[in-house]
Amino acid sequence: MSKHHLGEFEEIVLLTVAILRDEAYGIAIIDEMESRLKRKVSIGALQTVLRRLEKKSYLTSEFGEATKIRGGKRKRFFSLTAYGKKVLTEVKEQRMGLWSAVPEFAFSY
Amino acid sequence: MSEYQEQAPPRLFLRFFRWYCHRDYLEDIEGDLIEKFERKADQTDIKSAKWGFAKDVIRLFRPGIIRPITQTQQLYQLDMFKNYYKIAWRHILKEKFYSFINIAGLAIGITCCILISFFVKHELSYDNYHQKLDRTYRILQEYKSGNERATAPAAEDYQVWGNATVGPAFTEEFPEVDQFCRFTPGHNKLIKVKDELYDEKNIVFGDSTVFDVFSWELLSGNPESVLNKPNTIVLTESLAKKYFGNEDAMGKTVIYSQDVLCVVTGIMKDVPANSHFTFEGIISMGTFYNQRSWIFESWGYVDFYTYFTLKENANMESIKPKLAGLSEKYTGEWEDTKFYIEVEPLKGAYLNSVAARQPGKTGNKSSLIIFSIIGVFILLIACINFINLSTARSLERAKEIGIRKVVGARKFSLVNQFLSEFFLLTFFAGILSLLLVFFLSPYLEEFAGISIKTDDIFNIEFLGIFSIGIIIVGLVAGSYPAFLLSKFQPSKVLKGNFKTGKSGVALRKALVSFQFVLTITLIIGTATVYNQLTYLQEHELGFEKDQIIVMDFGYDGKVQENIEAFKNEFEKTPNILSVCASRAVPGNFFPNAGTQIENPDGKLENHSPAIYEIDPDFLSFYNIKVLAGRGFSYDHYSDSVDALIINNAAAKLWGYNNPEDVIGKKFDQWGKTGKVIGVVDDFNYQSLHTEVGPLTLRFEPYSMAKFSLKLSTGDIHSTIANLEDKWNELIPDRPFTFYFIDDSFDKQYNSDEKFAQLFSSFAVLAILIAFLGLFGLTTYTTAQRTKEIGIRKVMGASLRSIVILLSKDLSKLLLLSFVIAIPISWYATQQWLEGFAYQAPISLSVYIITAFIISGIAFGTMSWQSIKAALQNPVDSLKNE
Repeated sequence: MSKHHLGEFEEIVLLTVAILRDEAYGIAIIDEMESRLKRKVSIGALQTVLRRLEKKSYLTSEFGEATKIRGGKRKRFFSLTAYGKKVLTEVKEQRMGLWSAVPEFAFSY
Repeated sequence: MSEYQEQAPPRLFLRFFRWYCHRDYLEDIEGDLIEKFERKADQTDIKSAKWGFAKDVIRLFRPGIIRPITQTQQLYQLDMFKNYYKIAWRHILKEKFYSFINIAGLAIGITCCILISFFVKHELSYDNYHQKLDRTYRILQEYKSGNERATAPAAEDYQVWGNATVGPAFTEEFPEVDQFCRFTPGHNKLIKVKDELYDEKNIVFGDSTVFDVFSWELLSGNPESVLNKPNTIVLTESLAKKYFGNEDAMGKTVIYSQDVLCVVTGIMKDVPANSHFTFEGIISMGTFYNQRSWIFESWGYVDFYTYFTLKENANMESIKPKLAGLSEKYTGEWEDTKFYIEVEPLKGAYLNSVAARQPGKTGNKSSLIIFSIIGVFILLIACINFINLSTARSLERAKEIGIRKVVGARKFSLVNQFLSEFFLLTFFAGILSLLLVFFLSPYLEEFAGISIKTDDIFNIEFLGIFSIGIIIVGLVAGSYPAFLLSKFQPSKVLKGNFKTGKSGVALRKALVSFQFVLTITLIIGTATVYNQLTYLQEHELGFEKDQIIVMDFGYDGKVQENIEAFKNEFEKTPNILSVCASRAVPGNFFPNAGTQIENPDGKLENHSPAIYEIDPDFLSFYNIKVLAGRGFSYDHYSDSVDALIINNAAAKLWGYNNPEDVIGKKFDQWGKTGKVIGVVDDFNYQSLHTEVGPLTLRFEPYSMAKFSLKLSTGDIHSTIANLEDKWNELIPDRPFTFYFIDDSFDKQYNSDEKFAQLFSSFAVLAILIAFLGLFGLTTYTTAQRTKEIGIRKVMGASLRSIVILLSKDLSKLLLLSFVIAIPISWYATQQWLEGFAYQAPISLSVYIITAFIISGIAFGTMSWQSIKAALQNPVDSLKNE
């Protein structure tokens, strides 16, 4: 199981990419995370994780078309791979399993 | 515009980001950064947007984002290098002729450099193997008499050869001195081993400290005691082998000088070739002492080379001021003569010492410098060839460069490409030159006595220097063409109306002229050296030297007693015209003698001229002219007792400008007193490096050592065979040895001959390389002008006018080179000639011949190509447009 270990931030990034579907490029991901989680994310932190996840083949990416904004630079759109989806699902099931094992009284007070 | 600039993110940070970011991520992350920046600039103000941008760039500077320093880059570089080498190979193979000229020229240049550096290294290595070298010195001495005795002698007047007493006095007087060690010169010594006679020329007497002062290796025997008793001898390995074959020589007996038995107490390794003083055996000094002990007490008897070591931490400077005091203490009471002592370090003595009467060969610093310069010249010429050919051929590569640039090659990578191509060529040249060095090393051994073994090549030091040298040569030869080629502008090149720049042509011309200047200088140098040597050989020496052989009987007492009878016997041998006896013969060793002769003021004046002890036949035998008075004669019985003959130089030394005036003046020399009876013309009894010095000749029957015999031009072989038979019959206890006097006299020019041969072979190589280059260059430039020639021919130009047209440029260059080269070579040859007392007059013919040779070869090379081009049918050159 440990080979599919996902860090907390990695998990969030994967989920955000999943949410954004075809629109998941750097700035969009940051915006989405900031609006949903009220959490400041730097480009540096995000890009490092994105590249790492891509290297682990959880994500794949391709360039979009060049536009006049962004200094004429193309966007790189990320999307989940099948493997990424599987890992995400596994993580979710683990969490669910853990949740279901928690006795009712633990939250009683 | 200004608004846009204001909107732009901070340039510095952007550039920083672009520099460090991974190439694959650069575009989209930069986009993200700019998007964020623009948005922030809209929402808040530009300042905080810039601030935020900077912060983001710095936060992005982390391992996942930074480009790897090596990995991907290297892969890409390696592929490009593979490509470069592939292209380079194709070019080398496509243009086999030019590649050959390039590689061969460079290889020859590098070979010369390697050979010369081995020579220089060898010369610099002399005596360096002695462990105590830094504190080993040798004593120089000079006796000065006459009016100038109060002025200290010049450095070149000091002699290494001196008396026996100064060494012991040094250890006694100076606490700084550790040990002294004396040698005698290795004059002819008769050695008898197992009934076999040997005439040894290189066995010396030596002090017992020899193995302490010097680091010669003893193979057997105790270094401290091998020579401390009389009648002991140490042999070198090769001499032991000569005497005893494979037997162990230790403890065996060797008979010296008929009756002195010496026991072999030690065997030493042969003295290394890089020693200023060599010998084959040492007889203990005690043996010599037993023979002639008075020599060891005399401050005036000269027969020793004295070396000494300082104690550790002692300083030479503290001894130097005390030298004059030492001389004063021991020789102060001498009335007419002053004894001078000087010391010089053994380190570098081989190259630097100017003292007279050296114990062995000396190096020649100036020829060392000359050869080093020639080595650099040759390499320069080869590099210039390379540059010339490569820039000339750059047109061919122009299209390739254009395409590469259009496809995206940067200037840097083009420089890289061409440099690596040139390095490849240089590398081949290097390999080739190593092969050449192996091939040529036997010749170097023959010329300079330097053997190059595989060990000398395959060691880290040599290979390291060699590779660095190759890289430097590659850079020197390759960098200009590489930068020139990479500067081509693709738009011009690919349009097709491209011409190499004017500056390139000018540079090429300058380089060719430079090459010519060097070659002309070398040719003039060679011609001058040969001119001088022929001059020396043909110079009137003032005595006859043809068809004369000398037989040495080594002061044999029995021969001396009946010298006239022996002379008569030899004269009776068929084909012998005449015979004379003497102690010294021209071109060989002679001693000096303290001599007093009455000067024009009537006072006896002391000098130390050379001395020849001869018989009355000597002067007529050698055809030496008597200027005044008469020669010795058997009719004057007292000639062997009270008569002296001097040469013209000696007469002048004592103040007589007219030789007649010295006749009848009183003299006192080596225990003899009497009158000067004759003056002979100055004949060159030494090599022509020096002027004829003052010489005295006296008739001394009991000092003879040599017979001189004049042969008729008959069968020399049978004459010598007859002489040998006669010798064995008359003098059976001496080996028969002989030499021709002209050979032995010319031997004094051996080192000059070698110098000339080496010099001329290097000059020939330099010329060869230069003309290889010229040939390549003209071939190419003519090829460039094929169309022009075609059109000219169609318009009616004659063959002659075309050849002249093509040769015009070359003539200008040649003329310019002459104007530059003549003063340079005149100065250089003048410097070299100063080493000779008799100089060949500088003849105009040397320069004219050089001019003919060089223009002949240059135009020959040129016209070969231009005539070929001019003869071509214009149809062929013009049809393919």
